[in-house]
Amino acid sequence: MDILPQLILNSLIAGSIYAILALGFNLIFSTVNFFDLSYGAVAVIGAYAVFYFSKLLGWPLFVAVPLGVLISGTIGFLLYTSVYRRLRMRRSSNTVLLVASLGVLTALQALLAIFFSSQFQTLSATSSGERLFSLFSGSITETQVIILLTAVAVLLGLAFVLKLTLFGKAVKAVGDDEEVAKIVGINTDKIIGKVFFIGSAIAGLAAILVGFDTGIEPIMGLPLLLKGVIASIVGGIGNVYGGVAGAFLLGFVENFGIWKISGEWKDAIAFAVLILFLVFRPQGIFKK
Amino acid sequence: MEDNKPKILSWVILLAVIIVGGFFFARTAKAPEVAGPISLGVILPLTGDGAVYGEPALNVYQLAVDEINKSGGVGGRDLVLVVEDGKCNGKDGANAAQKLVNVDKVQIIIGGICSSESLAAVPIAEAGKVALFSPGASSPDLTGRSPYFFRDYPSDASQGRVLAELAYKKGWRTVAFIQESLDYPLGIFKAFDARFSELGGKTVKEEFPTGASDFRSSIAKLQSQKPDALFVDTQAPAASVRIAKQVKELKWNPPLLVADIVVGDPKTVSENKALFEGAFGAEFGVDPNNPKFQHLLESYKQKYNAELPYQAYGQTEYDALYLVKEGIAAVGLDGQKLAAWSRTIKDWDGASGQVTIEATGDRASGHVLKIVKDGKTELYTE
Amino acid sequence: MPYVIHLLIMVSIYSILALSLNLVVGFTGLVFVAAAAFFGIGAYVTAIVMTSFGFNFFLACIVGALFSALIAFAIGAVLSKFRGDYYTLASVGFNIIIYSVFLNWQTVTRGPLGIPGIPRPSIFGLSFSDNFSFLILASLLVILVFLACRFIEQSSFGRVLRAIREDEKAVSVFGYEVLYFKLATFVVAAAFSAFAGSLYASYITFIDPSTFFVNESIFILAVVILGGLASNRGAVLGAAVLVLLPEALRFVGFPPDIAAQMRQVVYGLLLVILMMYRPQGLMGEYKL
Repeated sequence: MDILPQLILNSLIAGSIYAILALGFNLIFSTVNFFDLSYGAVAVIGAYAVFYFSKLLGWPLFVAVPLGVLISGTIGFLLYTSVYRRLRMRRSSNTVLLVASLGVLTALQALLAIFFSSQFQTLSATSSGERLFSLFSGSITETQVIILLTAVAVLLGLAFVLKLTLFGKAVKAVGDDEEVAKIVGINTDKIIGKVFFIGSAIAGLAAILVGFDTGIEPIMGLPLLLKGVIASIVGGIGNVYGGVAGAFLLGFVENFGIWKISGEWKDAIAFAVLILFLVFRPQGIFKK
Repeated sequence: MEDNKPKILSWVILLAVIIVGGFFFARTAKAPEVAGPISLGVILPLTGDGAVYGEPALNVYQLAVDEINKSGGVGGRDLVLVVEDGKCNGKDGANAAQKLVNVDKVQIIIGGICSSESLAAVPIAEAGKVALFSPGASSPDLTGRSPYFFRDYPSDASQGRVLAELAYKKGWRTVAFIQESLDYPLGIFKAFDARFSELGGKTVKEEFPTGASDFRSSIAKLQSQKPDALFVDTQAPAASVRIAKQVKELKWNPPLLVADIVVGDPKTVSENKALFEGAFGAEFGVDPNNPKFQHLLESYKQKYNAELPYQAYGQTEYDALYLVKEGIAAVGLDGQKLAAWSRTIKDWDGASGQVTIEATGDRASGHVLKIVKDGKTELYTE
Repeated sequence: MPYVIHLLIMVSIYSILALSLNLVVGFTGLVFVAAAAFFGIGAYVTAIVMTSFGFNFFLACIVGALFSALIAFAIGAVLSKFRGDYYTLASVGFNIIIYSVFLNWQTVTRGPLGIPGIPRPSIFGLSFSDNFSFLILASLLVILVFLACRFIEQSSFGRVLRAIREDEKAVSVFGYEVLYFKLATFVVAAAFSAFAGSLYASYITFIDPSTFFVNESIFILAVVILGGLASNRGAVLGAAVLVLLPEALRFVGFPPDIAAQMRQVVYGLLLVILMMYRPQGLMGEYKL
């Protein structure tokens, strides 16, 4: 049996998830220039919100999913105003922000476990009986098709906003040099707040899609975060297309790594790719 | 720098007061008891990956304790649980054991649920002459490890062996394994592989790290090797469900073998009817006709408004409390005597069937073959 | 009392880890998140040579330290190319790769089964099998490492390190090989961390890979940051606080089913609050 088509499909599906994560992470990182580790927890909160509304309260998905995305965005925004803005106003170093966001990640994951228990949950209505599509000799589910389309939509939407709107130009200005942006009259605080909202909402979307495809648990925040980070850096920090290219590269390397090496080395392979890139091409695939 | 010094000093003093105060409080509060409630130590995972087992286990313990106390406790004394989080790892298992043995001065610890917690707790329990009674740790490394350790859950070794024999009888010669990189699934694989290759079969294996959720490429790789059957070997049923779902999504329908945690969890089996139909497992004795087991299921549902998950563990956890009660009634509250007493347990009727503890501390009964039919687990007879 | 002795032993082990990580983080200003990797290498080498080859503990300790130093040399050479957040991320990568080796190289490490039955130290008929004598041994090692760190700090070597932290360019202008100084510090720190690993393996008598994951590195980093960068006394104090704090929280009296998660919440919040109000740590010389 030829497994090549299936491997390619798997790589594309994984790559799409990583791409969405990388887009949100890249947006925040390139604007504020620090590693926001709480990004992973904020993503998972969105997925749990959908779980709460649709599974526990029985609301329809077209209400629950947008609400989940909004909640992730709001939490991200609130974290910025309550923690990160204060730290940045005090001119804390990036490392201080990194450690603080680590604290947020730890606390939020534990709170999720208190409210929803550590049990694994799935968002899809049934665990089987989903529609399957065949492509060459591979197969793909309906959810996964939606994941692919969402990744494309988020990429196009974000590229449009960043390249063609005034807001996008302001975001770029803040990312390039916050002081200069302030001097030319940009309300940097407001821009960064919006960036946190949008980036976190994208993260929430990614986690919700993962929830429909495979499932959710409180501790999935860290792996989601790390995949987003690796994809962003491999692709090129601060470049919208770069993050997506990095995500698909990561998806392909991981899945073909399983074929040629073995599944248990998946995470090690992902980080080996990261280190190789950092050594030989630190600016990533695409420069900023 | 200089003006910081008093501040630092006050920090240090405050800290010292808290720590010393904490110990004092703890030490004076726990004088050796002759009357009043009896403290039983409990080690189980309440945070991290293993929490999915720890949470229901704590429910079962609490249920059993409430029942025992309602019917008069042990010699008129109530049982209370002192619960510590072992996080399913050695370090926290050791910390928890140290506190239970040396601060709470318990004479018996129920736990851990994970083998790693138990392995790290054994030397501490032994040094403190405290009995360590695990209803869940199944690592073969624990067999005969210490006179203070015993368990009413059988070692993994028998599960893998029983399934390997079944696979060979079915005419399968190559069995593919998709296995989580943790002690329990690895233990099952090793036992299976040893017996299966002895019989003349062959295994191919893909491992995956805990927390993985995308198994498609591992599955595709195994599929391309054309095995006769697929063994889904995970620590928790959730991962097995994810794998089985992805196997179906790849349009592959091999005969399935699953670990006892799947066939032992009616919720998983009934909610994923289509996924696990016809899957084989070797479970250690959940007997739905056993009145004690039925009683456990009903009272769990009544108290927590949910089905008892992981019934194979639930039954041994429930029995553990009743065994401890009998032990204390028989030889008194003394770790050394309780450990010695445990070796005399023979054909004791519990929710998990007849319990006999061997001289090695292991439970003397094995796994029986089960098959999933129409969303239910049934006894398999050829 | 035995419980107090146990806690003091744990404090000693983490003091050694914090002292050695402080050499790297405190003196070069680089945030290294793979301390658990060298902790693990020390523990695994000690456990393997003691259980499989019957080595004496003290000999095993030295073998572990040499091994750890050797690997640190290779990793340090790669890491020396990075700075800032990239350094941090690459070190996370190395931690995950080394963790994967512990987990997957099963013929040597027994993988997830872990290594049980590691003996306690003994020398010239003197056995450290009871906890009190083990505590004396552990404290002696802490003092030794402490003095070694102070010696490095006060030597001319230490002065160059300090200068590197303040202004790397200026130091290289004076003709010092900055790379060599950083690498040497890194290798020494890795060897010290391995001592802590040997103590840990022999004390708990059982090791498995889960102890040496990134979480543990983050914990050790938190110890150093709490105690204060570049302060040896701070490192020991930080170890005492962070090892004892969760233990003290055991006595607070949350309901047991949420107590464990609450500990995580408190621990996370502590990091956030510390970063907001005292980012230089309790006894730190300078801020992150």
